[in-house]
Amino acid sequence: MNLDDIFSVSSVCLIGASREEGKVGNVILKNLKKNFKGEIFLVNPAATEVEGIKCYRTIESIPHSVDLGVISLPSTKVVEAVASLAKKGCKICIPVAGGFGEQGEEGKKLEQEMIKVSSTSGTRIIGPNCVGVIIPRTGLNTALTTESKSKFPSDGSIGFISQSGALGLLAMDEFSDAGIGFSSFISLGNEIDVDETDMVTTLGRDEKTKCIAVYLEKIAEVDNFLKECKKTSEKKGIVVLKGGQTESGNRATSLHTGSLLKTSFSLKGIFRQNGIVQANNEIELIDFSSALAFAKPVKGNKVAVVSSAGGVGVVATDVLENHGFKVNKTSDALASRVGERISRIGSPFNPIDMTAEATNLQYENVIKELDSSGEFDAILAFVLFQTFGVTEDIIDFLSSFNRAGKTPIVVGVIGGEYSRVISRKIIANGVASFPSVSRAVAALGALRERGEFLRRFEK
Amino acid sequence: MTVIPEMEFKSILDEMGFKQPKRFLMNSPYDYRGNFPAVLKVSSGTITHKTESGAVVTDIKNIDILAEVLKGMKNKFPDETIYAEEMAKRGVEVIVGLINDQQFGKLLLFGVGGFYSELIRDVTFKKVPLDRYDAEDLLEELKFGSILNGYRGLKANKGVLIDFLLKVSDFSIQHQFSQIDFNPVFLYEDDYLIIDAKMVI
Repeated sequence: MNLDDIFSVSSVCLIGASREEGKVGNVILKNLKKNFKGEIFLVNPAATEVEGIKCYRTIESIPHSVDLGVISLPSTKVVEAVASLAKKGCKICIPVAGGFGEQGEEGKKLEQEMIKVSSTSGTRIIGPNCVGVIIPRTGLNTALTTESKSKFPSDGSIGFISQSGALGLLAMDEFSDAGIGFSSFISLGNEIDVDETDMVTTLGRDEKTKCIAVYLEKIAEVDNFLKECKKTSEKKGIVVLKGGQTESGNRATSLHTGSLLKTSFSLKGIFRQNGIVQANNEIELIDFSSALAFAKPVKGNKVAVVSSAGGVGVVATDVLENHGFKVNKTSDALASRVGERISRIGSPFNPIDMTAEATNLQYENVIKELDSSGEFDAILAFVLFQTFGVTEDIIDFLSSFNRAGKTPIVVGVIGGEYSRVISRKIIANGVASFPSVSRAVAALGALRERGEFLRRFEK
Repeated sequence: MTVIPEMEFKSILDEMGFKQPKRFLMNSPYDYRGNFPAVLKVSSGTITHKTESGAVVTDIKNIDILAEVLKGMKNKFPDETIYAEEMAKRGVEVIVGLINDQQFGKLLLFGVGGFYSELIRDVTFKKVPLDRYDAEDLLEELKFGSILNGYRGLKANKGVLIDFLLKVSDFSIQHQFSQIDFNPVFLYEDDYLIIDAKMVI
């Protein structure tokens, strides 16, 4: 069955609903109840209702079709539930519990039985041993974490796939805290059916997903995965954080090539070949994904730096040059046009320093001048709210420029709580914003990599 | 794991049009018809690290020294084939390798070559076949990639290098192997030379 159905689930059945606070069957139910726009059915033979929702004794007795079934039962009872759901025409099953292939032969047998049900019925299985699925656009949320401990993503443009449940949830919390919305959160668990390649295909087809973020520990079928990524990356960015050493099968090290493979292998080159931007840690995963989702690809090395603090501009220049970017001087003509827009004590060359006299309007005018000059491949604007004349109102301009301007823009917002709150709003308006010089520059690096890759599709 | 004798592998490379120094099979000193200085090498199916075992002697300046070195080498390796090459002028040194990896399949390695290559370990890998973009990317991915732009009077021609990498990629598709080293490859302003080539199947 088609995994695209995950985005249009209109009825969910939770098997193993629990009224006991903190139990998996209760945590999931509370998350599900909160925003889900479709119908919810519960199965629990020992209760008549949980959380105000009627409980059915069996899956068979539910008088309605079920699109998606969440199974919160111990592993030994899961196969039967999957079979019953499949019989009911359920499109997707999510067995949450562990105790399967990861725990040995017995568990592997159970997995085999589920795979059989899936392949004969067409029911797709996500998991087992996973922490759930979140699709903000429909309010579907089967996550194994509570609102008191984690932020949940709003509706947005990043499709996040994770092989690790825990790392997936904590990255989700971080993404959401920064104000970055998701088109989907998918915890893959043991991947007995649905794997990373299936999800890349599915998210590749989803119009709402603008960038796919993936945390991987193992790649089931390398060639398929890479091929699918290459195909998908023509349309949207893909960022992968690959955890764990990549094992190589080669033991022979008689030649230099073999010994270098052993000591110095990196996936970066192979990822780049297939349109995947590699993240080296969870922060890069978040930053690169939001950059690729929000900003335009960068097609060159020349960056204009705009700020109201000379020091920030100088540091940014150093970091940019270390990343292989050029902070080239503005042409005389452009410098004189910029000079007319900013304070006389400022600097119209690059980095452009508008000084503490900067205002929203100056930012706007300078950025427009830079854009129309065509002298730069990207604009890095440090919008510093410690400056008196710079206010939240600047977001409207940033957002419209990000959409309509020719030059890609990345924003840096440095500062404490006050700045963070505004930065979230900038992000919520679909503009790539980062809380430090180095993170903003690294994100530009990811955009440049994407720009370089896209050359392949230009005629 | 079988080591292909070097002479044999190098002949295959000749046939495919890869550029290498002029090579002569040496039974007597007069078999050498190239320019000096020359290099004498043992073409063995077993010895793979020749510098350490005395199976290669470089910078041979004239026919008399050549005769003397050849004699010594024949005594030390009585059962092996010995050959001579013209000693190439120095270029920018890179390593290009191929390996058939169990997980990823055939990979091409590109890196900073020469004496320090295993110390610096500045290398990158791509799946073959490569297209032109992949080959260009290889050059971008090295930390010391700037040596290709010129260093201490040595300069590489990127266009020539990219064509060479694509040729190695073609080779990797047409042949079966476990590992192949082209190390070092000398890059010049207008050309390249494979100085040493080894193949294990």
